[in-house]
Amino acid sequence: MPAPAYARPVPAPQLEGRVALITGGASGQGRAAAALFAEHGARIVVADLNDDGAGETIAMVDAAGSEGIAVHADISTRADCDAMVRATIAHFGQLDILYNNAAVQMSGRLVDTTEEQWDLTIATNLDAVFWACRAALPHLIATGNASIISTASVLGLIGSEGYAAYGAAKAGLVALTRQIATEYGPAVRANVIAPGSIDTPRFRKVAETMPPEFLTGLQGTIPLHRLGTAEDVAGIALFLASDLSAYTTGAVIPADGGLAALR
Amino acid sequence: MSDRFRGKVAVVTGAASGLGAAAAERLAAEHATVFAADLDGEGALRVVDAIADAGGDAEFAVVDVANEGEVAAMFEAVVEQHGRLDVLVCSAAVETRASVLDTTDDAWRRVLDVNLKGPFLCMKHGIGPMVSTGGGSVILLGSILGAIGSPGYAAYCASKGALVNLAKQAAIEHAPDAVRVNVVSPSACETGLFLHMVSQAPDPEAIKTMVAERTPMGRLGTEADVIEAIMFLASDDSTYISGTTIPLDGGLAARRM
Repeated sequence: MPAPAYARPVPAPQLEGRVALITGGASGQGRAAAALFAEHGARIVVADLNDDGAGETIAMVDAAGSEGIAVHADISTRADCDAMVRATIAHFGQLDILYNNAAVQMSGRLVDTTEEQWDLTIATNLDAVFWACRAALPHLIATGNASIISTASVLGLIGSEGYAAYGAAKAGLVALTRQIATEYGPAVRANVIAPGSIDTPRFRKVAETMPPEFLTGLQGTIPLHRLGTAEDVAGIALFLASDLSAYTTGAVIPADGGLAALR
Repeated sequence: MSDRFRGKVAVVTGAASGLGAAAAERLAAEHATVFAADLDGEGALRVVDAIADAGGDAEFAVVDVANEGEVAAMFEAVVEQHGRLDVLVCSAAVETRASVLDTTDDAWRRVLDVNLKGPFLCMKHGIGPMVSTGGGSVILLGSILGAIGSPGYAAYCASKGALVNLAKQAAIEHAPDAVRVNVVSPSACETGLFLHMVSQAPDPEAIKTMVAERTPMGRLGTEADVIEAIMFLASDDSTYISGTTIPLDGGLAARRM
């Protein structure tokens, strides 16, 4: 079942004057958020390993009437996390929204997970969020009204066979977000989006390795009977980035078509 | 003491002090053969001596749980000497009191390595032996800070939050093998890391009183509270329980969503 074409009823620009740094903004959910944030007046920094994709996203930001820059960053290294924040401040002089969206999804049962897989998964999905937040927080605090959004996964909330390191990293990110929420309010709010099955290029690649019944079966179990879209997630990110969610911090919002209600 | 662990073999990490030491002593008192593992070899030896004095059977191992080679060697030694492993208690943990902004790279790494990668490596190398002899029970020491945020515990919160999910993953993956994996999640206890942290504060008693007053039961947890839960999960009294977290918090969890 295709995603319905929504008329998004958000008339006024919600992010006028704000600067958003989005990791993994070269594709998928990060790109959709960059485009939507730009439509709402935010200036955008896209941090990604994929320079071509990041450039395309910035073109979409420009087309939306805002401006943005792309920063090459490997967020599994602390140096690049620091550098992307520095580049943001150097170019725009402020940072209001940090969207930790980049991730590496690696599957594997616990006993089969190598130390290298463990270290890379933790570095990209958990250490990176810590590094980015630590680098960004002084600037976020300075704005007096900032928002951190981090992408977890339903796999960080529930157990699932074959995602030992990934699930642990995402659950750690949720706990870290709660910690940040308790420590850095009221200047900074911090929340998590927990996507379920979202129809992105990365998801398609995984789905292609499965038998055809996989997709049909999966959609049948989702109460909303479809995969999520990057735009579905971007809508939640806009809510969390903006003053629409001014009283929400330390929260985990599932973007899962209702799967969480089954559990 | 009961006989329910006679003939069984247990590995306890962080066994030189606190809850780990208490768990090792109690398992030995209930006739398990205990491997007391710790980075602090002298402390682990003291615990092993105490167990021997009480008529129990224990050995110590000097192990950094974040070092895969050392962890693998320990479990190989256990299997070589005893041919089985029934209980694994991952109690080794460190904490650093620092906000996100004040957490150094080294402190973050050490907390994540000991508190999260350690249990990962211990399960990776400990579950296999359990499977080969028909199953076993893994108990991970969590914390209430895995479920709630608290100012000043950035790395610790992240590590304990991640641990809960790791337990769920392992529980599902090894449910068919009769290996159970659970977490005990203490709030503030009159033992271990909390006491250590409080002892460094200007007025330890005031903090303990404040925490106790915020707890529905009006008191801190005790070592016995935690140990009884560990023993329950380690034993066959809990054979249908896996992938869960038991809060040992005097009712605090009832205040949460």
